[in-house]
Amino acid sequence: MIEFRDVSVTYRGGVRALRNVDLTIDDGEFVVVVGLSGAGKSTLLRAMNGLIPATGGSITVGGTEVVGASNAELRDVRSRIGMIFQTFNLVHRTSVMNNVLMGRLAGVPAWRSTLGMWPATDREAAMAALERVGIVEKAYVRASNLSGGQQQRVGIARALAQEPSVMLADEPVAALDPVTSRQVMGDLQRINLDLGITTLVNLHFLDLAREFGRRLVGLREGEVVFDGDIDDVTDETFREIYGRAITVDDLKTADG
Amino acid sequence: MAAVLVVAYTLVAGRTVGFDLSTFWQVWSNPLWEKFWPIPWGWVLDRHNVLDPLVETFQIAIVSTLIGCGLALPLAFAMSPLTAPNRVVLVVSRSIMNVVRAVPDLFWAKLLVTAVGIGAFAGSWALSVFSLAVMVKLFSETVDGADPRPLEAARAAGGRHMPVVRTGVLPTVLPEYVAYGLYVFELNIRASVVLGLVGAGGIGRVVEAQRQYFRFDRVLGVLVLVFVVVFVIEQVSMAVRKRLV
Amino acid sequence: MDRLLGAPGDAWDVFRRMVPPAFGEAVDRGVPGKVLESVHIAWIGTLIGAVLSLPLAFLAAGNVAPVWIRTPVRQLFNVIRAVPELILAVILIPITGLGPWAGALAIGVHSVGTLGKWATEAIEGVDPGPLEAVAATGGRWVSGMRWGVLPQVLPVVTSQWLFRFEINVRASAVLGMIGAGGVGSELVSQLVFRNFPAVGAVLAMTIVVVLAIDTASAAVRRRIIRGAVSGVDEGEADRNAAVLTDLTGIRTP
Repeated sequence: MIEFRDVSVTYRGGVRALRNVDLTIDDGEFVVVVGLSGAGKSTLLRAMNGLIPATGGSITVGGTEVVGASNAELRDVRSRIGMIFQTFNLVHRTSVMNNVLMGRLAGVPAWRSTLGMWPATDREAAMAALERVGIVEKAYVRASNLSGGQQQRVGIARALAQEPSVMLADEPVAALDPVTSRQVMGDLQRINLDLGITTLVNLHFLDLAREFGRRLVGLREGEVVFDGDIDDVTDETFREIYGRAITVDDLKTADG
Repeated sequence: MAAVLVVAYTLVAGRTVGFDLSTFWQVWSNPLWEKFWPIPWGWVLDRHNVLDPLVETFQIAIVSTLIGCGLALPLAFAMSPLTAPNRVVLVVSRSIMNVVRAVPDLFWAKLLVTAVGIGAFAGSWALSVFSLAVMVKLFSETVDGADPRPLEAARAAGGRHMPVVRTGVLPTVLPEYVAYGLYVFELNIRASVVLGLVGAGGIGRVVEAQRQYFRFDRVLGVLVLVFVVVFVIEQVSMAVRKRLV
Repeated sequence: MDRLLGAPGDAWDVFRRMVPPAFGEAVDRGVPGKVLESVHIAWIGTLIGAVLSLPLAFLAAGNVAPVWIRTPVRQLFNVIRAVPELILAVILIPITGLGPWAGALAIGVHSVGTLGKWATEAIEGVDPGPLEAVAATGGRWVSGMRWGVLPQVLPVVTSQWLFRFEINVRASAVLGMIGAGGVGSELVSQLVFRNFPAVGAVLAMTIVVVLAIDTASAAVRRRIIRGAVSGVDEGEADRNAAVLTDLTGIRTP
């Protein structure tokens, strides 16, 4: 279970990215977070694994407090949370395998990973993760030689290699075309159903949110302005979250 | 305003230095010129006279490139805000390297010769320091400019600092590292020509000895030889770099 | 092997004996003046190199010079680069006599090699548009260079000069070791007497001045490059890195 209690994030410049957020997410949920860019979606996800430290309140992930955690505690929490990124964040100049192995960093002694002497079990886990996203044949290809969709699958495999209980996806399809976007969202949905991994996805696109989400959280200027079942969501809800009328730019497939 | 200051300083500096245009044409009547020609190729290409010291120079350059570049790798990571483990390490390593770089290369050589005695050994030491300084300067700029996003991904996976940098940044910057390493090697060969001046070994010892006897024909011969060697190294390292990047 | 293992200890011993540095003695001997003389030498040397290399660079650039002239000019740069300042100074001393002018001239001539090479690369990187525009008005080659190319490369070339100045400050300090003016002679004579506290003072003063010049020059270079690419604030460090990388002749993709 993930619990946000009165969480605030204020940046050094004084910008308040999150204001008094209360949120409870049960194990195995699939939550879509929507909001304009700058509404605090990325901050919400990154506060969960401490990449951006919360400046107030309390966040617990599976019972561990994240706010004010020590480095060792943070690493422990992060090892249980997989994360995938809008720009995939792969190391382009190395193989897909090495990228996926990064997901195993937390469990491998520092000297082994530094020297690149990964234990066989970790290699197997990485292979299994690649198999799950269906690109196992690309394991020894340089990451830069993959298409955008394939790169994002490597990103997902890297997160899966952590064998996480929570998956955070920060605008995972913003850089992809509509068809690939659906496939990647489908992958995430399947992983959530098959493995029971609690999944939070930041999305800008409303059609994808409707199609794949089960629970929807709406952020506006750092505050949660909507939290409910996707079936209860109307165009009016979106208008409220976005503070303006819906345009075609808000849809991944322009005609959908 | 700034222009006036620059001009004024130039005038002052020119006066102190003893700027004298006439040198430019007097230089052609320098009695030394005839001592440069002809190049005694028989002497230059003699194994004992030049080629053995040249091999020694190669050994010195290889050893110091390896030592300098080896030490530069962790140091450059410690010196970049992106990859430094913490602020203290960042500031301390930056300050130390600034001081090391501020000491001219032959000053280092002279100091080390004083400390450990004349010879190839002191030369290797001096060039190691020199390699380290150059390499850290160049490579840390590369690390500064590395893509921070894979680093974020590695951190999000819960890795410790060292493995995170190793897996997230190193592969990205490795080709530049090797390219700069080759460049430093080339610089080391060039620098070894003058190392003899302070009593450090290698080809510089030959240059220095012949210079003292005013055998500039021999000095020129050695310079031409080194020029050719450096040219070959440049071509090889250019070919290697092309493959890397 | 004993020597190998003993060396760090020996080196450490020498450095330890430099502390505390004998600043008073150094000031009495006029070391600060010598350090400044090194700076003057480097400055004049850099200017000589700049003045000689810029016109040559136009003759060496592939996009503005015909092949029959650029090949020999480029080779000239390479040859000059291969002759160290110290050797040049040795050749010059019989004419100029011992002293700073030999050092300045040696640095000036040697700088032509690197400065010429860098400036050539800068010229080869210019936008051909303005050059075409000057040609379209019926301008001569020289006007094309003066009005089409020079304004484009001047910021980069100026920062190259400054960067070379930073290098030359170190080089001129070294030249003093053979009597071509500046602080090098002090280091040598104090080391001969094994007067380590004085050596420490000479080193400390050199380091302070070199660091000050590095910092100031880097700041000016940054401003020049930033001014040249006006309207864009971010990526300034990247551009600086790019300029520096170009100086080594290694281009990153």
